[in-house]
Amino acid sequence: MIGWLRHQKHAFAAALRRLRAQPVASLFAALAMGVSISLPWGLYLGLETLGRLAGELPARAEISAFLAADASTEQRRALEARLRQADIAEARYVPKEEALASLSTANGLADVAAGLPDNPLPDAWVIRPRADARDALVGLAEEVGRLPGVAETHVDSEWAERLQAGLALGHTVVVVLASLFGIALIAISGNVIRAQVLARRDEIQVSRLIGATDRHIRRPFLYLGALQGLLGGLAAGGVLAVAGALLRAPVERLGMLYGSHFPLRPPSALEIGVVLGLTALFGWLGALFSVSRTLRLVETAK
Amino acid sequence: MIGFSQVTKRYPGGHEALSGVNLAIEQGELVFLTGHSGAGKSTLLKLIAAIERPTSGIVSVNGQNVGRLSRRAVPYLRRNIGLVFQDHKLLFDRNVIENVLLPLDIAGFDRREALKRARAVIDKVGLLQREKANPIALSGGEQQRLCIARALVSRPALLLADEPTGNLDAGYAADIMAMFRDFNQVGTTLVIATHDDRAIAALGGRTLRLDHGKVEEIPS
Repeated sequence: MIGWLRHQKHAFAAALRRLRAQPVASLFAALAMGVSISLPWGLYLGLETLGRLAGELPARAEISAFLAADASTEQRRALEARLRQADIAEARYVPKEEALASLSTANGLADVAAGLPDNPLPDAWVIRPRADARDALVGLAEEVGRLPGVAETHVDSEWAERLQAGLALGHTVVVVLASLFGIALIAISGNVIRAQVLARRDEIQVSRLIGATDRHIRRPFLYLGALQGLLGGLAAGGVLAVAGALLRAPVERLGMLYGSHFPLRPPSALEIGVVLGLTALFGWLGALFSVSRTLRLVETAK
Repeated sequence: MIGFSQVTKRYPGGHEALSGVNLAIEQGELVFLTGHSGAGKSTLLKLIAAIERPTSGIVSVNGQNVGRLSRRAVPYLRRNIGLVFQDHKLLFDRNVIENVLLPLDIAGFDRREALKRARAVIDKVGLLQREKANPIALSGGEQQRLCIARALVSRPALLLADEPTGNLDAGYAADIMAMFRDFNQVGTTLVIATHDDRAIAALGGRTLRLDHGKVEEIPS
């Protein structure tokens, strides 16, 4: 066990020395990895920001129920009682005067509203059900629509659904991109390790002759791959930090124009940890694939 | 300690370096391999250290059939064999003592113990003053002594040397051979391939002549 730990320590130190011996090559490999990883990572953070924004806006589905002009007081009370039940998150009564008033203040429609001889709008309820599955919404809309005194119901959930579908698509794109760039990372790491093995041909051949096992020769290269991946992850963090600093002002301006506040979300400590862990793992994998192949090459070329 | 039984080594292309070689080397012996270049001296040493495998026949070291060793077992065989090369095979990206530490690092020695052993063996070959030097700054004779130090640091029972004095002038060559005689006197088995007849005459010991892949014992 102590011997094993000593071997690991030696190998880790050797990996650090090799990294330091070629600072420029290591830096460029880290940058290449960093740019690759920052694309899916940045997209993910953007989607998270959008998703949170969508949660804050009234993105949830609404049902509008328009009352018949001749609805009686009893019918109105029965409807109100139905809307106080547990499956309704919120129900807001919009009298026709309020509807006309909001129409008058809406851009471009003030003239239309002013030109009307009397108020043609019905009284209405705006209902937000607890469930937001489409079937449940339609079912509820039909049930409310059958109540006496209700002229018409309208399910207004389409834009929310589109947004959700768009976000889901975005998340799939993130997964696809992350997989592709994960493969790229393995390839970059494999190439770095291949170059390192070829550069250390003499050392490898001599070590073999004086009794080094395959594992002993491979170990520093595996550490090197993992370290290189880790540096790539850190570089990705750097790329995102720079991109974030550049994007913050324009995004906030855009948010203000929409009368909202879009704070760019920095990655959480957990996300940074996961990304660094994954990049180290992928760097290690690339080293693993590359080192055995290249070692065979080094050994046969005497 | 070493046994060859009907050993033939044929290289791809048909060149037969050894043909049906039989020989036995006992523990503690000092054996010279002679013969002109291309006679199969290096091949014989490589077969003992499992750097090459015989085409047919059995090479055994300490009772192990070396030609049949698995890839995983070969490193452990080599840790008991010191190898000295004509071209030294030193690593120029590290200093003298680090070159000598390499076998001990591979074997997983504790750093302090390893340093103690490395210093002792560097002292024995007379390079203690140069322990921080880069091997490229050493003379040919010093490089060869460094190579010997590296071969001896893990205290192998068997030392194989392939033309250890091949590139050296006479004075250095005599030094190196004297050093080998000292090691043999403390019990190390030595097999030295050389065509330096003066060294053989000076040291005495058993001599095997290789000629066209056959081994012939030369009475001393």
